[in-house]
Amino acid sequence: MTAVQKRIVINKIALTLSTLSALIALAFLFWILGVLVMKGISALNWNIFIFEGAPPGYAESGLKHALVGQAILIGMATAIGVPLGILAGTYLSEYGKNSKLAHTIRDISDIMMSAPSIVIGAFVYAVVVIPMGHFSAWAGAIALGIIMIPVILRTTDDMLQLVPGELREAAFALGAPKYKVILSVVYRGAKAGILTGVLLGIARVGGETAPLLFTSFNDNFFTTDLNAAMPSLTVTIFNYATSPYEDWQQLGWAAAFILSMFILGLNILGRVILFAGKKGK
Amino acid sequence: MASIIDIKEECALHVRDFEFTYKGSSAPSLKKVTMPIARHSITALIGPSGCGKTTLLRSFNRMHDLYPGNSYGGEIEFEGRNILTPKEDLIQLRTKIGMIFQKPTAFPMSIFDNVAYGMRLQGIKNKTELNDRVEKALKDAAIWKEVSDRLKHDANGLSGGQQQRLCIARAIAVEPEVLLFDEPTSALDPISTQGIEKLVIELKERVSIIIVTHNMQQAARVSDYTGFMYLGELIELGQTEELFVTPKEKLTQEYITGKFG
Repeated sequence: MTAVQKRIVINKIALTLSTLSALIALAFLFWILGVLVMKGISALNWNIFIFEGAPPGYAESGLKHALVGQAILIGMATAIGVPLGILAGTYLSEYGKNSKLAHTIRDISDIMMSAPSIVIGAFVYAVVVIPMGHFSAWAGAIALGIIMIPVILRTTDDMLQLVPGELREAAFALGAPKYKVILSVVYRGAKAGILTGVLLGIARVGGETAPLLFTSFNDNFFTTDLNAAMPSLTVTIFNYATSPYEDWQQLGWAAAFILSMFILGLNILGRVILFAGKKGK
Repeated sequence: MASIIDIKEECALHVRDFEFTYKGSSAPSLKKVTMPIARHSITALIGPSGCGKTTLLRSFNRMHDLYPGNSYGGEIEFEGRNILTPKEDLIQLRTKIGMIFQKPTAFPMSIFDNVAYGMRLQGIKNKTELNDRVEKALKDAAIWKEVSDRLKHDANGLSGGQQQRLCIARAIAVEPEVLLFDEPTSALDPISTQGIEKLVIELKERVSIIIVTHNMQQAARVSDYTGFMYLGELIELGQTEELFVTPKEKLTQEYITGKFG
């Protein structure tokens, strides 16, 4: 075998192995999605959106409590995480730039992004739940908000840096003060990217269970009291799926399906916005 | 050794013993530059890459101040004061001395909002006044006919040449005294270039213009005065025709005949 033939063979082996690996990885994803869609759709019905949780065996039981609770938790977490994330990202890109402080913040934020979410739950338990004396929607939202910050901070930083420096200079050259340059030119130039970051941040916390277990805890009944334990889809899935009751397990499948579709939808929407933004330029 | 013409007419700017040092650099990038800029005429700056012509241009509106650590020396006189002092109001200064960049810098907003940007910064909110002045600026920049029916459209949909004229409209809308052009046609095709050059010549009736260009023919075509720079020094400043036909300095002669650069 000549050297060239040998290289062609090695090339073919490498291509086959990597294609196979990609297919195996994708197979698991579609397996999970497939089972979820089949079991989830068959468990869906209107009662799910009308009734709150009930003891096993009751026909009139649903997920209204968990759906509303999840929406409240994510809404509050977004209200905490998005402004902090965007402002911090703005500091890094527009003010800190390559300073030592900015690099330190970027590093810490990257570490935070990969921190186990249960640790953040434990932290919030220590600084919010214990002083308050009980679980609350506030504690859950704070935990989710903290997890959201590094995701949004990083995308904001990256997206603002993609705005060409000449655009900033052109605005300065017209006599714009710095805050106006950022608000009226830089943010506009990066708005698709920032919006995508926000959506990905929401998607990131939407599926979190661990940080909620000992912050907002869970509740089987409908509530909008922010100072009390708040039901969430994720913890409800955990409780129902591990229960021995057939009807609760069915509700668990339905909840898992709804949550997955929500997160999948956010991810796709984020990509579509980013793609449309790029095409616009 | 430099040969600097003594300008008899009124001057818009006076550069005297000007020095500029970039952050972290031990030697100044511009050395003892002295140069008058005639009012309501076009002064071109030519010279090989790295000679400091853009650095000098960006000193007139103190663009270098956006990046901390750079330092100025000497003086640049504008409207009777030295604009290099720390107490100079840069926002005011930049509304009087506008700038056009190498690449078109249309903001990500509508054509109308682009032109109105500088005026709105100055607090002009009156709709009729904004409409009138936007229209006038676009007409003066010779782009009104092409965009009058789509003022609300995104400015990024325009061609490169149109965007550059839009940027000129945006700059003249705030009625500056001086306009700085940093190689404004180097990213454009020949036809757009011709349009911009024609426009620059028309504008000199109202503003004093300094234009940095890589293109010696362009300097010869548009400017009244030309300055030749080399290694951070102004070697020669003269009337454009004289500088290109009978340069006084040997270096200038060598550069314009293509011996280096």
